[in-house]
Parts: sequence; structure tokens; C-alpha cells
Amino acid sequence: MSFSATLAGIFEGLGVTATITLYGMMYAVPFALVFGVLQHFTRGFAHLLVTSIIEFWRSSPVIILLFVFYYSLPSFGITLSGITVGAMALGLNIGGYGSQSVRAALQALDVGQVEAGKALGLRRIEILGLIELPQAFAAMVPTFINQFIQLIKGTALVSLITLTDMTFRAKEISQLQYDPVGTYTALLLAYFIVCYPATILGRWTERRVSIEGRGQRDV
Amino acid sequence: MTFDFAFALSVLPTILAAVGTTIWVAIASCLGAALLGFVLEILRRSGRLLGYAMRFVIDFIRSTPVLVQIYFLYFVLPFYGVTLPAYAVGVLALSVYYSGYLAEVFKAGIDTISAGQFEAATALGLKHFDTIIFVIAPQMLRNIAAPMGNYFVSILKATPYLAVIAVPEMLGAAMEVSSDTFRYAEPMLIVGVVFLILAVSIAQLVRQLENKLLASEKR
Repeated sequence: MSFSATLAGIFEGLGVTATITLYGMMYAVPFALVFGVLQHFTRGFAHLLVTSIIEFWRSSPVIILLFVFYYSLPSFGITLSGITVGAMALGLNIGGYGSQSVRAALQALDVGQVEAGKALGLRRIEILGLIELPQAFAAMVPTFINQFIQLIKGTALVSLITLTDMTFRAKEISQLQYDPVGTYTALLLAYFIVCYPATILGRWTERRVSIEGRGQRDV
Repeated sequence: MTFDFAFALSVLPTILAAVGTTIWVAIASCLGAALLGFVLEILRRSGRLLGYAMRFVIDFIRSTPVLVQIYFLYFVLPFYGVTLPAYAVGVLALSVYYSGYLAEVFKAGIDTISAGQFEAATALGLKHFDTIIFVIAPQMLRNIAAPMGNYFVSILKATPYLAVIAVPEMLGAAMEVSSDTFRYAEPMLIVGVVFLILAVSIAQLVRQLENKLLASEKR
């Protein structure tokens, strides 16, 4: 089997990799926004609760989350499909990290922004949606792109719960051909092809944001 | 199959016995990653061509999943006559993967040191190597303690990946119990809980160290 045939065989798993990434984003983005904002606004017991939920998803190793949800939940009567478990565990793990960049971006804003909103007679929710989040969002973009890359790379784990993603395909091909050098080199290359554009984009936006930030400080 | 608490309690000692392996593998990987990351970053700064080459290496490491890198080293090294024990391959893989991230941390750390420090060292007649070790590194370490600590926690959370190449850390020990008894629910859940406790407490420790460092800087 030639190298390009191996690479083509591995890319047959791209569909599953992309599906998990996409579904994962559907868990990650809402979780990051809602819990980031909640952690910023809540106090006392509610704050503790929100922080614990975030820490649960963020501090557990994602491979363990995957195994616990795939293997342990069924014995409590909840059986989820591999795709659901993969997307949920990977997505909420990344969402936990994302929530921290949302919170950090909100905290980094000047208090004057909120005070100005209040002076204009806006309600708190309007201040959040119209003033705080749009500005925080600009600062969050590079981090979000980096976390998106982490999510794509994380999907390699679903090969361990029997989903036929790129990594799973590579393992199959490797067993059939007994050419681990070619197969795993092709697999590294496959992920590099998928992730490298995002890496470049992430670096570019990082520079943009830091340049804009510098401009603001000069004013 | 329902959750069996008696069985869960009976596997607890086996899994706790593997905490030691988890921790020393994590520590060895932290040292390896820091060393390799520092070397990568220094090489990136020595010469134009070498700089581009190292930038590509770092981007490549960051654009491929750690799981795939583990498989790659585990299956490809023996093909070239390098037969290492599983834990050595594991430590090597985690070191390589996180060195890509730590190189970026070191980059940020060195960038914040003013050019005057380099100039002063040159004026004093220090060699390039001595400048890096005695002038730049100590100042840099204080600046980057926080992000470096976060990556060390990430390394701890990445150790269960090594279960896929049969390193007997906590997840590996749990999987062994599972394959002997055909019960997955209890061992996985226990590993999850133990890991969560471990990760949260070590993250707390890192945060305290950070605060201490910040306090000593202010004085």
C-alpha cells in the first residue's frame, strides 16, 4: 500500500472526526458562554455551585470522562451512543476551559464601561449583551481558536470507544498492512493538515488582538 | 449490570497503589518537557534558518494529537531498533508534546525581559550560553511560573493516555481490573473520582505557589 493510499484510507475517518468536532462545539460554546458569564456574576453559594460544575469538566482528564460516561453510566441505567458521549465529554471539557477565558475577558474590562452603561440608563442584561460581551469577545477569539484545535486533536480519543475516526482507521490499516512507520507517519500528517490552518489563524488573531490592545492603551 | 459498591471498594486499593506511578511519570514528563521546550526555544532564537526550522517543529508538535504521538513513538521506534520500556516511551511522548507548548511559554517569558539585560551581559563579557543560563533564565522563570504550573497540571491530566500503551498508571491499573472481571463501571468511576481529587488539589497547590511568588516579587 503506497503512502498516498494509506493517507486516503485514513481520511475516510475524517467524517467521524469532523462530526465529533462539530457536535463538540455545540456543547462547548454555549457552556463556555453561559458558565463564564454566570461565574462572573454569581456570588456566595451559587458561585460555588457554578465553579464546581466548571471544575468538574475542566479538571477531570478528558480520557477518563470519556470512559466514565461510556462504561459507567450504563450501570446507572443511562446508555448513550459513542458519538453522544464523545461530543459531550470532549465538548464540555473544552467548554470548561472556554468558560475561564470568557470570565477572564469580562473581568479584564474597565469598570468604567459598566458605569457608563448604568449612566445611560441601560439594564444590567443590556450592559452585558451590548457593552461587555462584544468587547470581551474580541479578546476571546485567539483563545477560542486554540481551544478549537484542542477539540479537534481531542477527537483522536473517540477511537478508544470504538468510533471509526482517523485514528481508528490508522489502527485498522496498520494491523492489515503491518507498516506502522508509514501508517502512523501518515496519521500525524493527516492531523497536521487538518489542524495547521487553524494554528496559523490562531497565531494571526493573537497578533491582531495584541496590536489592537496596544492601540487602546496609547489613547 | 448494576453498580456494585462492594466491588468498587474492593478495587480501590489496586487503583490507589498506582497513584505513585501516575505521579512519578507526571514529574518525569514535566522535567523532560521543560528541558526540551527550553532547548527548542533557544534553538529558535539562534539563527534565521534554524529559527524557521524550529518554528515548524513546534507548530507540528502542537498540531497533532498527543494520543497519535504516543502511538507513533510506541510503534515506530522499535522499527528502527530502539526498544524502550512502555513507561519510557510514555514519558518521552508527553515530554515531546508539552515541549511544544512550553517553548511558547518560554518565548513569552524571554520576550518580556528587557534588551538592556542582554546588552549588559554582553558588556560584561558573558558568553551567549552563560547569558541565557545565569541572566535570562532566572528572571524568566519568575515571569512564567503561572503558565508553566498550568501546563504541569495538564501533564498530570495527560498521564492516563499512557494506559493505551500499557503503562500501569491509575487508568492502566483500572483497565487491567476491568479486563479480568469484565466490569467497567466501578473501576472507571473510581479512577475518575481519584483523578479529580488529585488534579484539583495539585492545581490548588500550584495556585498557592504562584501567589507566594507574586508576593515575594512585590516586596
